[in-house]
Amino acid sequence: MRKKLSVWKVFTLSLISMYSMAQAVSVTGTVVEDDGASLYGVNVTVKGTTNGTITNDAGKYTISANKGETITFSYVGFETQDITVGNANVINVTLAPDANALGEVVVTALGVSRNKRALQYSVTEVDGENFTKARENNIGTALSGRIAGVNVSAPSTGAAGSARVIIRGNKTLGGANQPLYVIDGVPMDNSQNGSAGMWGGSDGGDGLSSMNPDDIASITVLKGANAAALYGSRGGNGVINITTKKGTKRKGIGVQYSLNYVAEVINDQSELQTDFGQGAYVNDVATAPGSIQQASDWGLQAWGPRMDGRSIPTVFGEQRPYSYAGNNFDKFYETGGALTNSVALSGGNGQQSFRLSLADLRSTSIVPNSGFDRTNISFSTNSKFGKNLTVSGKILYSKENAKNRPRVSDSPGNPNEAVWRLPPNVNVEDTRGDPKKLGALPGGLDPSVYAAGNREAGDEMLSNYSNFWGSNAYWAAHQFNGTTKRDRVTASGQLRYDITDFLYVTGRLSTDFYYTKGEGLTPQGTGYQQGGSISEYFQNRQENNMDFMVGYDEDFGKFSVNAFAGGNKQYSKYEQITARGNGFSVPFFHALNSANNRNFGYGISESGINSVFGSAEVGYDNVLFLTATARQDKFSILGGKDILYPSVGASFVFSDAFVDAMPNWLSFGKLRASWAQVGLTGSLGPYQTTQPYGLNGNPHLGRNMAAFANRGTIANPLINPALSTETEIGLDLRFANGRFGLDLGYYDQATTNDILNASISAASGFNATTVNVGKLTNEGFEFLFTATPIRTNDFTWDLSLNFATNKNRVVSLIEGSTELSFEESRTRTTRIKHIVGQPFGTITGITQKMLNGQPVFTEDGLPVRNDVYEELGQSVALLSGGLNNSFTYKGFNLNFLIDTKLGGDIHSGTNSSVDAWGFSERSLQGRDGEAPLTVSGVNEAGEPLNLTLTGQDAQAYWGNLGGRDASMYIYDASFVKLRQLVFGYSLPKNIVSKTPFQSISASFVGRNLAILYKNIPNIDPESTYSFNGGAQGLEYFALPATRTYGFSLNLTY
Amino acid sequence: MKKIILSVLSLLLINMSCDQEELEKLNINPQALNEIDMNFLLTSAQLGTASGGNRGDNRYIDWRTNIGMFGHAIQQIANAGGGIAPGDKYNQDNNEVNAAPWDFMYNGVLQELSEIIIQTGPGGFQEGVRENTRQAARILRAYAFMRLTDYFGNVPYTEALKGRTDGIFFPKYDSQQAVYTDIMKEVSEATKAMNGSITGDGFAGADLFYDGDVSKWKKFGNSLLLRMAMRVSNVDPALTSKYASEAISGGLMTDVSDRAMIKTDLGPSEWTNQNGISRAFANGDGGQPSPLSATLVNWLKAKNDPRLMIYSGGVGGIDMDPANQIGLPNGLDTGTLQDFLGKTGANPMVEFSNINILLLDDDEDYAFMNLSEVHFLLAEAAERGIGGATGAAAHYNAGVKAALQEWENYDASFAVSDAEVATYLAANPYAGLASIGEQMWASKFFNWWEAWSDWRRTGFPALTPVVYQGNITGGTIPRKLRIPNAELSTNPDNFQSGATLPNEYTTRVWWDVN
Repeated sequence: MRKKLSVWKVFTLSLISMYSMAQAVSVTGTVVEDDGASLYGVNVTVKGTTNGTITNDAGKYTISANKGETITFSYVGFETQDITVGNANVINVTLAPDANALGEVVVTALGVSRNKRALQYSVTEVDGENFTKARENNIGTALSGRIAGVNVSAPSTGAAGSARVIIRGNKTLGGANQPLYVIDGVPMDNSQNGSAGMWGGSDGGDGLSSMNPDDIASITVLKGANAAALYGSRGGNGVINITTKKGTKRKGIGVQYSLNYVAEVINDQSELQTDFGQGAYVNDVATAPGSIQQASDWGLQAWGPRMDGRSIPTVFGEQRPYSYAGNNFDKFYETGGALTNSVALSGGNGQQSFRLSLADLRSTSIVPNSGFDRTNISFSTNSKFGKNLTVSGKILYSKENAKNRPRVSDSPGNPNEAVWRLPPNVNVEDTRGDPKKLGALPGGLDPSVYAAGNREAGDEMLSNYSNFWGSNAYWAAHQFNGTTKRDRVTASGQLRYDITDFLYVTGRLSTDFYYTKGEGLTPQGTGYQQGGSISEYFQNRQENNMDFMVGYDEDFGKFSVNAFAGGNKQYSKYEQITARGNGFSVPFFHALNSANNRNFGYGISESGINSVFGSAEVGYDNVLFLTATARQDKFSILGGKDILYPSVGASFVFSDAFVDAMPNWLSFGKLRASWAQVGLTGSLGPYQTTQPYGLNGNPHLGRNMAAFANRGTIANPLINPALSTETEIGLDLRFANGRFGLDLGYYDQATTNDILNASISAASGFNATTVNVGKLTNEGFEFLFTATPIRTNDFTWDLSLNFATNKNRVVSLIEGSTELSFEESRTRTTRIKHIVGQPFGTITGITQKMLNGQPVFTEDGLPVRNDVYEELGQSVALLSGGLNNSFTYKGFNLNFLIDTKLGGDIHSGTNSSVDAWGFSERSLQGRDGEAPLTVSGVNEAGEPLNLTLTGQDAQAYWGNLGGRDASMYIYDASFVKLRQLVFGYSLPKNIVSKTPFQSISASFVGRNLAILYKNIPNIDPESTYSFNGGAQGLEYFALPATRTYGFSLNLTY
Repeated sequence: MKKIILSVLSLLLINMSCDQEELEKLNINPQALNEIDMNFLLTSAQLGTASGGNRGDNRYIDWRTNIGMFGHAIQQIANAGGGIAPGDKYNQDNNEVNAAPWDFMYNGVLQELSEIIIQTGPGGFQEGVRENTRQAARILRAYAFMRLTDYFGNVPYTEALKGRTDGIFFPKYDSQQAVYTDIMKEVSEATKAMNGSITGDGFAGADLFYDGDVSKWKKFGNSLLLRMAMRVSNVDPALTSKYASEAISGGLMTDVSDRAMIKTDLGPSEWTNQNGISRAFANGDGGQPSPLSATLVNWLKAKNDPRLMIYSGGVGGIDMDPANQIGLPNGLDTGTLQDFLGKTGANPMVEFSNINILLLDDDEDYAFMNLSEVHFLLAEAAERGIGGATGAAAHYNAGVKAALQEWENYDASFAVSDAEVATYLAANPYAGLASIGEQMWASKFFNWWEAWSDWRRTGFPALTPVVYQGNITGGTIPRKLRIPNAELSTNPDNFQSGATLPNEYTTRVWWDVN
């Protein structure tokens, strides 16, 4: 069932004046929910009389009333509406769900529906519409800013990228810290299929991208360990429960159709200098290219003179003016787009119901030749046989095609870096090369430039023919290939048998499996790999779950008991075969069978968790509820080790307990408290408790070779599960009949014995070790304020403001160690560390040496580096929040979401690079006619030193700054964004009624329309390239920021 | 109905109860083995020793360090743009140059070699049945540590590689003297312990160096011991004396075919089986530019050296006239190149002599130590009265002969006749330590890591550092690599207390006192 607020919280009231009469008239009409579905059994009464009726299957009613009398429409779970009879004798009513309803029910652990007032922990529900109007390809991304304490960071990796969702802070130092996604009670595999690292790569996407937003009725977020205790270790980071739409009892078959199109355009954040062009210092004189060779040699740097419009040679031979060529980002990036067509059929009678939906998404990214397509088919059915047996089943199928996932981070094949790397006088379109093969050297160029590099027509056209690593943007986008195709089936079946009216058993089987076919092509002729290479892989992931449960639900006078016990058996498998080859025997025939050297790889991993669990809730008088749960998980990855963990909680609806003592402005008040533990396995995967040997897949000259199967990490047979303990208290208040609401929460969480893959000195023989380490704590405050400041028949303003703070602290690590190292930046001057006494993810880096408080410089003015990694910032934001406003006026509605994160830092490799290449505004300092570059401090002997750097010395300063003082590239990553805007209109019923449809609505939608506040030049503060927790706070040439806007059309029939 | 429900329930319960064994089984990797033949690790470690590491990318260390730093710093190749060559102008603090040998050796060959030594030693599952494999591993382990300490000075040694066995994740550093003292003892013991009478242990099939020929291994062991002894000869004469005499009396390489090298292959993977140096220079494969340094070309031309047209593949890869060969001076950039040539628009790969592509086949042999070096070391020892060596001139002559003739292994067209050798020697006779040092330098083409160490120790040839505005070494040729940033960030305390400091390119290691 639905609860509160939605954009469509519009009661469409249309009064058609036919005639005005004083006597009783027969009033008729239809009562519907806000999504247009008709409501059966609504009480329709004339106020002050005994005259009443209920609506029929189609939601229709007929009642006789006098003009001026009031008709009351009431229905459990919906807000009651009063309408005065006027001249019209047709009164159609849309009932809004009642946020304050006593019977308000939410889906909790194991898919068990619970009365919300009984919950002793915080849950938040988001209506499905929030994912369908202004869409994101990945629904995880769409959660951003909506829920207090839910922190979304989507790496800037394109149309098929992953979403990183962190609930109430990072609970393990090394694990993914991702919540468990559950669809209608069935866990869903949300494996992350690879992220870019410091050396480049692309985002392989996650499991969540398969989900069709149109199938989502609502998403419930169970935030704490308390909420998730019954999901076991996998729910230790919170649970995101997705309830899909189901068929409901109705007459005939309902049809819903929606069309959504959004365009995506770059939201360019670059602020580069446009005065000085390509070139280099020659004997300290800034020099522009005078030959094709120099145009090539200096093709990736802007240390030339002030641009004066003179004609200069270019790498491709033609002359070009030495002047600003315009914004290359606008020129290279395209307008992307996403078109979704979705149709759903549903129907049902009292015994059976079904829903069938079909959705098709076609999207293209701003990166040329890149996009994401998805087709979803889902079918669900629910049948009741007799009084006792309920059978339900569901199957979701998705077919995804992620075309050319763009490479990000380090340069190989990264088109984004390629665009950044062009000096201001170079037009990116001049690097298009052969129009029939974009990015390739066309025939007829001056051979003297590239012949010595063995380059010929058809090979990658480089801006610097001897720097093979600087990609051509068009070549990277059009000739590289990194495509993944996935077929996925999620199926489940459930039986429920009601043995008596208070005792039931359920059993459920489910499977979620997908095959992924991936292709990776580095084409022949690529700068850094002229022979080219190809890989093809087949991947199979599977998760099966089997669970059963016995439930007991009975009232004894004022007492109620709700208890259940059961077991779960979970199995996961991952298997991959990869075939690779390099060099092509048939030139430019990019097929694996054409590869000269071919080899293959095979990997498999399996794991399982067996669990038993139980829960009991005792209620008194519907105002006090006590709950206790327990669960035992046994893990294969821990060699069968188990952990038992409990939870207890209470909720007290004091407003109902002491009705007389309450002020009348307080309509609801509940206090909740709970304590829970949950086992965690952190970053541990299968086969990590032993250190066996594996054969090298490529023997040498017929001789077998072997090494440790995992040569990077030291296995630990003694590893134990980590334990997360969380205490939570909360206060839920509603005022003025629910028009205002306040939900406050506080939690205090600690993880002990965290399982960690800690970076260690390579001199130990390994780079990392799996260890149980000390303690990590999270403490936070969550705030949610909801209000309907204005509500009239025509106009409604709903507002929701949420924010959350999380204070994370690393309390202790391995004995004798006060810090552990994680990911490194590509500049290799910064490293994410977890440091005792600091929050998760401290950014540390090399800084300038200081002597007596003075910075130390070389005699040439270069900073002298201190070989100590200093603490420079925090990679995780301290505060996140969102403000959602919606306004409805008659058929119009306007909704916008402002999203913010404050208090985090980021190391910007992009800014470091553009300084070194002479592209940044800042790198103008020290050039001819620009602001001087002065350094002052001391020399290594401690003597005062004041220098004004010019020319080549200034270039050396900018070129070496990032490597010698990483603190220069740490920025505040705070932002405020206009995340979403929807402006819609629903046609009035009187017009709709003349069409075959039940409702027609259209909206303008936009996402990420504006960055309202940020504190970092050149890039979007949300520009991480990686999904990995250890790489948050690092940035290096990811996709630029984008905005999307478009429209949405919804029809129901 | 109740019966059905109950039986379904009990089935589920049964399924969930006896699960311990099943869960344990599920955690066994079906693609891995708990025990394996240590010979398989030896082959892997030997292949990895080519380039100096085997963490998955066979050319990485050569690309970054052997070529990018050392080949340029000792002025055999030069760079005026493209690629990454911090050794050419000393103007870049390129962390990969430092990180490559550190990461790839500790977490690569050394990890494997230590494991062989553990499992073939006391309590290991192949104790006593892989004796020659064990001794070969000890020799190669010493070889790898010699490289590490030569580059970085003090390095973790005693506590190194004990992360898995002893839980030492953050090892202490040992002084270079301590490292040398122990690796020489190791090579000495292992060489003596190799036993030619052992058969049937699979060593011959695994050994990429000598196909299990123990007599050749003993020659290599002693030759390596001589190299080590000579390296510390300026700082620890006692150590030098002890092991130089032992090496000489134990039997050194005597024939070109004794050289320590492995064969590489065209496939199946370019990243593991091919020659890393060839791959690092491969045009169009992200390769380093390959112009020869003017220092080397001028030296070869002055001596009318037959190696000129072995090392050089011609000006621009085309002009094979020896008289026209021209090397690129180190220290030029695109701008100063223009001044040097007196014209703009010059591509160094066109204007200068490049490395001969006949030396750069993907399946070229990868050499670790040649016969020529042994003779040059003996000549030097004789000249300096070390270890009872005699006949400096004779060894010089034999060294030059080997140095001229050992390139035939790369291509038959590189054959140098005895007559040509005689002519060459007549024109370039033995002339003391400088002549030895210069010839050793010229012989170590491709083996630039060693040439750089020889130069640091002997001062030969007398190289003129380049002058480049914006350099970071105060205009001196680098004398040490910096401990890489990853180590600074993971092992800061031990680094601060034990590394060779300051952690700069200009700091000298213990044995570098010349």
